[in-house]
Amino acid sequence: MNELEQLTIVDTCMNDKEQIIDQLMQAYSEGILYLVFTYVKNRTTAEDLTQEIFIKCYEKLDQFNHQASIKTWVYRIASNHCKDYLRSWHYRKIKLDEKMWDHIPSKSKQVEEEIIAKNQETSLSRAIMALPIKYREVVFLHYYEDLTLAEISKVTTININTIKTRLKRAKELLKDKMLKEV
Amino acid sequence: MKNPFDDLKCAMKETIFKDFSFSDERKDAVKETIREKHSSQQLHSWKEKTIIAVLESVQHESKHGYDISTHLFQKNDFSFQSNEGQLYTLLHLLENKGIVTSKWINEKKYYLLTMKGIKHLANSKQESTKKQVSLKHLLEEASL
Repeated sequence: MNELEQLTIVDTCMNDKEQIIDQLMQAYSEGILYLVFTYVKNRTTAEDLTQEIFIKCYEKLDQFNHQASIKTWVYRIASNHCKDYLRSWHYRKIKLDEKMWDHIPSKSKQVEEEIIAKNQETSLSRAIMALPIKYREVVFLHYYEDLTLAEISKVTTININTIKTRLKRAKELLKDKMLKEV
Repeated sequence: MKNPFDDLKCAMKETIFKDFSFSDERKDAVKETIREKHSSQQLHSWKEKTIIAVLESVQHESKHGYDISTHLFQKNDFSFQSNEGQLYTLLHLLENKGIVTSKWINEKKYYLLTMKGIKHLANSKQESTKKQVSLKHLLEEASL
């Protein structure tokens, strides 16, 4: 085989991989974006991280072993990437500083929130986003993405029984919160 | 009170996820990065011919880096021209893999093919394509 032929083979592989990523993005980019948002609670960060996640998928594509479904594989990469981000120095030192501002009450914001809070849907979403992260992730994956417990276990590497407990606990927390608001 | 999760999907869609999607610009950015990564990867992987030329140059006598690079130029291989550092990266990889060994003489590092290296060289010359690919794999593995 001459070098040119070798090159073309590499190129078709490359195109294949690019196409796979393209298809993955068509199929899962929204779900991934929302999953990332449930972790990081910031739209721009969620978009940046989603972008990084698909690049990571491209880099790791050779390691996909077809044992898992490609969906759970991509979601697992996403989940791990978000957790890495939340553990990162950048997030802990810089983003948390920015967050401090959220805790300083401003009048205009309070009024705004009061109006929004009247909306039931908003209060439910807000309550979910206010859950601790370990509940938030399982709630999102199970009730928004409709993943089965086994799938969630593959994505997050959490034991199925633990997932059950967390879902139950999340439900209790949420009920408490909603009752208080009403 | 009913299960609060019943309305979850709808509620989240209508509020926090409203008008929120992974835009085409973002998707294009991903594809762009993938292409860049691909082309930069090619820059860093060495041609089969180059690797063999390097191995051949240290087959019979030990040479230091500059000697090897002159040897390559003489063979009309300009892979490392104005990019000499890459030659040393390659040499270090080969050394890590036990294909060449090195010795310091007069503050210069001299490289020489090992027995393992000689075998690899003979193999890759014989069954040109197949073994060459395996040699390349070996290096890619080592560079991870």
